[in-house]
Amino acid sequence: MDFGLLFHSFGNVMLDWHVLLAIFIGVTGGITIGALPGLTATMGVALLVPFTFGRPPVESLAMLLGIYCGGMYGGSISAILIRTPGTPAAAATVLEGYPMGQRGEAGRALAMALFASFSGGMIGALIMTFLSPFVAGVALEFSYVEYFALALFGLSVIISISGTSIIKGIMSGFFGLLLSTIGMDPISGFPRFVFGRMDLMEGPAFIPTLIGLFAVAELFSNIEKMGVTEKIQARIGQFLPSWADIKTSANNIGKSSLIGTIVGAIPGAGGDIAAFVSYAEAKRSSKHPEKFGTGLIEGVAATESANNACSGGAMIPLLSLGVPGDAVTAVLLGAFIIQGLQPGPLLYKEHLDVVYNVFASMIVANVAMLIVGAVGVRFFAKVIGIQKEILIPIIFVLSLVGSYAMRQNVFDVYLTIGFGVVGYIMQRYHYPLSPILLALILGPMAESNLRRSMVVSGGDWHILFSRPIAVGLMVLAVAFLAASVWNHKRIERRLTEAKLIAAEGASA
Amino acid sequence: MKRRTMLVGIAALVTGVFAAPAMAAFPEKPITVICPWSPGGGTDVLLRALSKEAEKFLGQSITVVNQTGGAGAIGHNAIRAARPDGYTVGMITFELNSLPPQGLIPFDYKAFDPLMRVNADPAALTVKKDAPYNTLKEFVDYAKKNPSEITIGNSAPGSVWHIAAGLMADKTGIQVKHVPFDGAAPAVTALVGGHLKAVAVSIPEVRGQVQAGNLKILGVMDTERDALFPAVSTFKEQGVDVAFHTWRGLGLPKGVPADVKAKLADSFKKAMETPDFKEFLKKTSLNPAYLGPDDFSKFLAQNYKDVEAVMKGLGLAKK
Repeated sequence: MDFGLLFHSFGNVMLDWHVLLAIFIGVTGGITIGALPGLTATMGVALLVPFTFGRPPVESLAMLLGIYCGGMYGGSISAILIRTPGTPAAAATVLEGYPMGQRGEAGRALAMALFASFSGGMIGALIMTFLSPFVAGVALEFSYVEYFALALFGLSVIISISGTSIIKGIMSGFFGLLLSTIGMDPISGFPRFVFGRMDLMEGPAFIPTLIGLFAVAELFSNIEKMGVTEKIQARIGQFLPSWADIKTSANNIGKSSLIGTIVGAIPGAGGDIAAFVSYAEAKRSSKHPEKFGTGLIEGVAATESANNACSGGAMIPLLSLGVPGDAVTAVLLGAFIIQGLQPGPLLYKEHLDVVYNVFASMIVANVAMLIVGAVGVRFFAKVIGIQKEILIPIIFVLSLVGSYAMRQNVFDVYLTIGFGVVGYIMQRYHYPLSPILLALILGPMAESNLRRSMVVSGGDWHILFSRPIAVGLMVLAVAFLAASVWNHKRIERRLTEAKLIAAEGASA
Repeated sequence: MKRRTMLVGIAALVTGVFAAPAMAAFPEKPITVICPWSPGGGTDVLLRALSKEAEKFLGQSITVVNQTGGAGAIGHNAIRAARPDGYTVGMITFELNSLPPQGLIPFDYKAFDPLMRVNADPAALTVKKDAPYNTLKEFVDYAKKNPSEITIGNSAPGSVWHIAAGLMADKTGIQVKHVPFDGAAPAVTALVGGHLKAVAVSIPEVRGQVQAGNLKILGVMDTERDALFPAVSTFKEQGVDVAFHTWRGLGLPKGVPADVKAKLADSFKKAMETPDFKEFLKKTSLNPAYLGPDDFSKFLAQNYKDVEAVMKGLGLAKK
């Protein structure tokens, strides 16, 4: 570690107003893109890459990293306010964030999301700066076998996000797994359940499905309540979380940031998985797991710190191995190459200044995110006070535009509306929706990597138990599953006790 | 008097409105370019760089629209079905010739009006740096001695690099296992991690890892050596007569007026010749391979026949 050069890089980033401006523009743009359903950080970065042709590398990379950090946080805003994860990584934030908003605590949730995003992003960036060489090796250890095991481990989280009924959660999960088999077979290329429609050849597109199940379904049930429920009395004056909230969440933020950084460093596993895993871990280790799902601040802290820590984690294999850690860093790889820089071991040898500038930009971008976010929180939170009659049509239009914008395909708009109806019905009968998302993310990962393992081994199942990391992950999956079933029993017991006490109180 | 002036005025206005389109030169509004692949990917970045240069010669802005999905099927279909007024151009890629034999799309290259070929990149057989073979022949010998041990990663089932690897195995008579990934990048990562024996993807996709000393190229499936790695010999030089490329080009829907097509062809050709675009190709180590509309048409027909024949031979085509 060359500390002199690192300080010099911070100077490059913070003292050059061009670079500083680029970061602030990037962060502000990123938060906006992230908060809009259908527009993700990946798209934001991809669309801006061409504008970096012919601009100095420090400035272009600073802006792209700003979008990356801002976009990750931005997703939580719409998740909390309108139950629409702005990006897939914010899907887990809906679980606790939205109930908080509905209770009138949108300001508190947004402030925590911002603080957790900042802390997570900072921890991820610091690990990237100081421990890259140690973490980088993990990325290459992961073969198809490990990815299959990782997907299994991820799926073991389903019970934790199932809400009140395990059976209904598992049903939702399997429904999601079934959906994920639609489209081209990942190994033979044979189209499955596409009914001759080209639009289905890659399965139901993820973002339109996400918008349908969450945003549109919620709009339908809001229409039902229109004129019946009163306007939410929101306290929105807050822009940083209270000391008490920070104290209750500090432990979770630390743990989730570590989980996020490691998951981020594994190529192909991103913020969405990290957030769900952190949520489940927060619930598992909580003293009052029965309160999860009702709007608990620790939940928001866990998911938001995890997905933002992922950004730093995903940069590690990109910079040190030339292997992108997630979708955004895959686009960033292109941006580097256009600048004439090839990420990887050579970048460290020949352009250490660029590497350190990236470190510095990432850390400064997180600070910029905190500043821009803190200014914005008051304004964002006002959304919740808007009358339903006005808000519902606006969100509906935004949802449809967002689902169309992803790949300019009208079919995706129909898909969104269709999943809106499905989501509405499921919600009405208390089937949790998050397991579907988790299954849609992890189903293809599990299937393709299991099949890849079978191709390589020639159909010999022993390959699955031949590698230590894979076995470790599978054992962890079983342990987690057992723990969450046991935990669930405990939750049910406590809830019945609470009911009994309430009933006694009423009769007495 | 007043009424007459008004009538004359209206008449003049009407004539003006109807006459204007005939007189104005194409293009008089922004042009849309369809990319069948995701934003930020290789095709997308190339198309955006090219469009940025072409704007100068067309005098209008160009918007790149990513209509992705179905292994390129959705985007190609959108190009084919676009209004043939020249305001929608599309980037067509190798998959246009490999999807029809698989029975995945109900149309083929004949549904397009080809504008120009932009680049063509050969497959390069790439292995780990510390692998016990240094030439194609040693690789083949090793594969024959250790059957069922060679795993070759590709970018998708039936994709260009799946076909390239199949063709190589077929011509050298070795047994290999094809492992499809979701794109070339994860396959290259798996190779670097030692979870595969080889990949047969293009040079831009392995360049970084080769330069970093993690991978080495055993041969390129081209008639000439690569500019960036002149020390690597071709397959033909090593006694295996295989040349196999992926390509990208621009196409129009059928029925675009000839003068409009000429203007587009001319502007995009000029865009390819600008120093900035040449610099871009150099940095991304893409291999420029310009062909004009007529040559590109002939190339597409020949390439279709070749690809279909190879896919049938490998059992990748639908019977």
